[in-house]
Parts: sequence; structure tokens; C-alpha cells
Amino acid sequence: MRQAAATRKSSGIMAVEWPKIKRRVKSVVWTGLALWILLTISFVFLYPVFYMASTSIMSIPDLIEPSIKWLPLEPTFEHYRNALEGMRYWLSLRNSAVIALGAAVGHVLSAAMVGYGFARVKFPGREFLFGLALFTLLIPPQTTIVPSFMLYRNFGWIDTYLPFLVPSFLGQGLRGALYIFIFRQFFKGLPWELEDAAKIDGAGSLRVFASIMLPLAKPAILVVFLFSLVWHWNDYFEPMIYINSFSKFTLPLKLGDLRRQMEQVFGSMSVAQMMNEPLRMAASFLVILPPLLLYAVAHRWFVESVDRTGLVE
Amino acid sequence: MKLKLRHRESLKGYIFISPWIVGTALFVLGPLAYSFHLSFRTLSLEDNLFHFVGLRNYVEAFILDAKFLPLLLNTFARSLVEIPLVLVFSLTTALLVSRKGVPASGLFKVILFLPVVISSGMVVQELMSQGAGDLSVVRSVTVESSIAIERYLGPAIAEQVAAVFNRLTFILWRTGVQILIFIAALQGIPASMYEAARVDGANEWETLWLVTLPMVTPIILLNAVYTVVDSFTDVFNEVLTYIHSVAFREFRMGYAAALGWMYFLLIFVLIGIVFLVMRRWVYYAGER
Repeated sequence: MRQAAATRKSSGIMAVEWPKIKRRVKSVVWTGLALWILLTISFVFLYPVFYMASTSIMSIPDLIEPSIKWLPLEPTFEHYRNALEGMRYWLSLRNSAVIALGAAVGHVLSAAMVGYGFARVKFPGREFLFGLALFTLLIPPQTTIVPSFMLYRNFGWIDTYLPFLVPSFLGQGLRGALYIFIFRQFFKGLPWELEDAAKIDGAGSLRVFASIMLPLAKPAILVVFLFSLVWHWNDYFEPMIYINSFSKFTLPLKLGDLRRQMEQVFGSMSVAQMMNEPLRMAASFLVILPPLLLYAVAHRWFVESVDRTGLVE
Repeated sequence: MKLKLRHRESLKGYIFISPWIVGTALFVLGPLAYSFHLSFRTLSLEDNLFHFVGLRNYVEAFILDAKFLPLLLNTFARSLVEIPLVLVFSLTTALLVSRKGVPASGLFKVILFLPVVISSGMVVQELMSQGAGDLSVVRSVTVESSIAIERYLGPAIAEQVAAVFNRLTFILWRTGVQILIFIAALQGIPASMYEAARVDGANEWETLWLVTLPMVTPIILLNAVYTVVDSFTDVFNEVLTYIHSVAFREFRMGYAAALGWMYFLLIFVLIGIVFLVMRRWVYYAGER
């Protein structure tokens, strides 16, 4: 204010507003630059998806034609029809859904209970055991795959969905400890007064957990459910090891199977393989379609997950 | 016998975590221990039993196996290039998106996180094999710079950098979680700090380096560890596919177990390095 008053006396209107204009322009320029960079990054991120969509509807003549890169002259859905059939889509979809939903439910239930124990109940060795849980996240799958396979074989669980479902109900499985971590962080952030009040009213620990804490944990429940669902849906490794029958294959497995069949029939590097690209892209798109639809509906929950569960405090 | 209150509390705690204890013992510690046990044995095809051979598997991995050590070192070198790249990229992106006045920041966040939801390993493999990660813009840049890099930094690093450019899109695809974590961390910086900086006359650049960056260093550490683990447990990793083929195609279970353990140790080494490097730079605000 003082500065403005001082310059007002010297040389006209421009001198009064100049510092403000300069700041404004600089801010706009930098924001513009940030926007441009973000747009570029967005393009890079979305490029493969566009590629997938565009390639999957290309008819063969369009594919060969070098001047056509993105928009086919004669789009066709034959590749989708072939992919649906080749992957036995609806059956595989159901298989994927069973595993993903089942494991997600298991993770929610077990991680909520275990996370609550780690967060709100004092017992000796608590910190150590929690550290152990985080430690399990570091173990690469290949280190334990052979003994795990043998274990499941002894149980008779090979070629069933039990190797996915049972561990998830016990807080294990794909990134299981992460969900425990999420619930622990969340429960830690809740006020103690709720529990104290309930305990004064005579509620036992289990009652406190089930009737009070759990309903409050809806954000964490949703986040864990969604992430477990998506990660299990996209998992290729464990289903590949544990599932043998074609009728039980999940969608990613079917995609891999399709690829292998194409390679066997046509060889790896031939022109015919190139002709298969639309088919494989259509198949890939069908594999990611359910998560994509889920994301279209629930993207807010994914993006706000870190905020809502208080992970980074 | 009525237990003391403290003991009752502890018992309740154990009951709550009992599913996890059972699960960990059964599905993690058991297989881990057995895998360790196996790594010192070899499966004899005559009697289908495991025979103790001491450290032979480990020795073989280092000296006899022409494939394992190069793969391991390659993975190590690759992560040396990838991890800083991922961290710088995700932090920068988080800063850009969190910037005040940027329009459609919500939409950008949705786009940035999208790959995490659709990244099925198989799908990414498909895309890579069809060259969907190859951006012509990037390619034109790399040809010129790769020559310069080779001259100044040596062929090993140049090779890694070239490999990174080929897969750049998909390396960036795996940064969604890190970006999200950084965004949350940035939001957690108290506004009073920025105000104090402004009062002291800091311009935007100075604020970035002297206020924002120090405050997020713990999260940089977190993301670094997460990135290491994420890239090492990616099942289409070269080392992992090799171990897989040794176990399930050559049926050399003992050897595969030893390889798996060495890979596991490498992760530890890398995380150790990350901690050592970052220890000097991490600033914990408000902690004693």
C-alpha cells in the first residue's frame, strides 16, 4: 500500500499497477507452463489406451495401410467378437470376479480386525509383529513360490481358488500387509473417547469393534476393498501358477493363453503376428474393461484414498 | 482364575491379530523357512528326494551360471536409473497438480492414477510388444542424447538409459501410487510455513527448495522404498522370469530357491542403500 502510494505520485497509472501486473503475468505464465506439462504427461499416460482402442477396431486393410495411424477408414468389431469367443470371455470374467471379489472381502474383514488390534490394543511385541507384517511386503513372490506350491498341493488346493481366498481371510495374500497398515493408520486416527464411552457402558472389546469402530471405518473399508479388487483382477502370476484347467482361467491368463496360441500358430516375428495385433488389442481391452468401468464410477475413491485413510500423517 | 487387567488386554490383542498370526506362520514364514532349507539342497531325479549339498547352489549361481549374475546386476543397474527417475517425476507431477490455480486438477489426478487400475501385467506386456510405449517424440530425443551419454558416462549407464527410454511410458505408468502419496504429503505441509516464508520475502523458487522439499523428505524415503519393492516384485521382471523357468521348466527347485533368496537379499541391500543415502537428507519436522 505504501509502495503504491509512493509511486502514485511519480509517473501515472502504469507505475501504480506495474508490480501487481508483473506478478499476475508471472503467475499466469507459470500456471500455463504447469498446465502444458500436465497435458503432455496426460498424453503420455493415455497414449497406450488410445493405441489399444484404435488398433482393436482396425480392419486388416486399414492395418496394412501405412498412412492410417489412428482412425481406421472402415472400423470393425470383428476382433472383439473373435476375442470374446477366443477368451471364453463370460466364463473367464466370472472366474476373475470370483477370485477378485472373494479375496477383496477376505482382505477387508481380516485387515480390519488385525489392523484394529495393532492400532488400539496394547500387547507385548506389538511393534515387532507389525514390523514383521510390513516385512512380508518385501518378499518377492519367487522366493516362496516353490514351497507355497508344494504346500497347496499337499492341501489339495491346486486348481481351485482356495490359494487366493484362504490367505486373504488371514491377512495374507497379494499385498495383504498393506491393508493391515491402512486399517491401522485409520483406526489410530480415531478418538479414544468413543471406545472409553462404550466400555463404560459395559461393552466388551469385540462389541466395541463390531458396533462402533467398524461402521466408522467405511472409508478404509472401501479403499481396501477397491484396491484389493483391482490388484487381484490384474494379477497374472499367482493364477498362472495355481490354476491349470482352462475352464478356470482368469481373464489375464486367458489373454496370455491367447498370445501363446497365436505364437504357436504363426510364429513370433512374422507378418501374421502383426495381423493379430487388433485381436490381441481387443482382447486386452476386454480384460481391462471391467476395472476401467469401475474406475469410471469410483475414481474419486481411488484418488482420494490416501487422504481419506490418513495414510500420510 | 481372573486375569489381571493388563493380561486381559494383551490376550484380547492377540485374539484380534490371531488370523494374521496363523496366516503368516502358515503362508509366509513356513514357505520362507522351507525355501531357505531347500536352497541348500538339490532334487535328485533318480530317487525324487532332496539331497543336502551345502553351499553348492549359491556357488553355482555366482560362478557357473552364465545368466543369473548378469541378470541380477542388470536389474540392480536398472533400478539405479529408474528409482531416481520415478521419484523426481512423481514429485514434480505432484507439485504441478497441487499448484494453486491449475485448472482441472481433479481430472489430472484421475488420469494420472488410471494406469494403476488397468496395469495388468499381461496387458502391459502386450502393449510393450506392439511398441505402444514407444513415443516418436522420445525416440528423436534419445538418438542425439544417447551418443553424448555414452561418451560421458560409459556404455553401461548408456545402455540402461536407452532401455529406460524404450519403456518410459510403462515406467511412468507405475508412478500413480507415488504421485498420490506425494500429493497427500504436500497437502500436509502447514500453511503457516508458507506464510512465514512469504513474510520473509522468499520467492516461489526459494520456497520450493527451502520449505516444501525439506518437509517432504520423509515421504521421499517412503516412496523410494515403495518403488524399490514395487519394481522388484513385478512378475515380468527378468530375474523373476528366469527363476520361474529354473523352478518350473528345469525343475531345479533347490537352485531356484537359492536364486530366490539371493534376489531377496538384493532387495535388502538396495533398501539399505536407499536408507543410507537418504538418512542425511531426511528432515523430520516436529519429531525429536
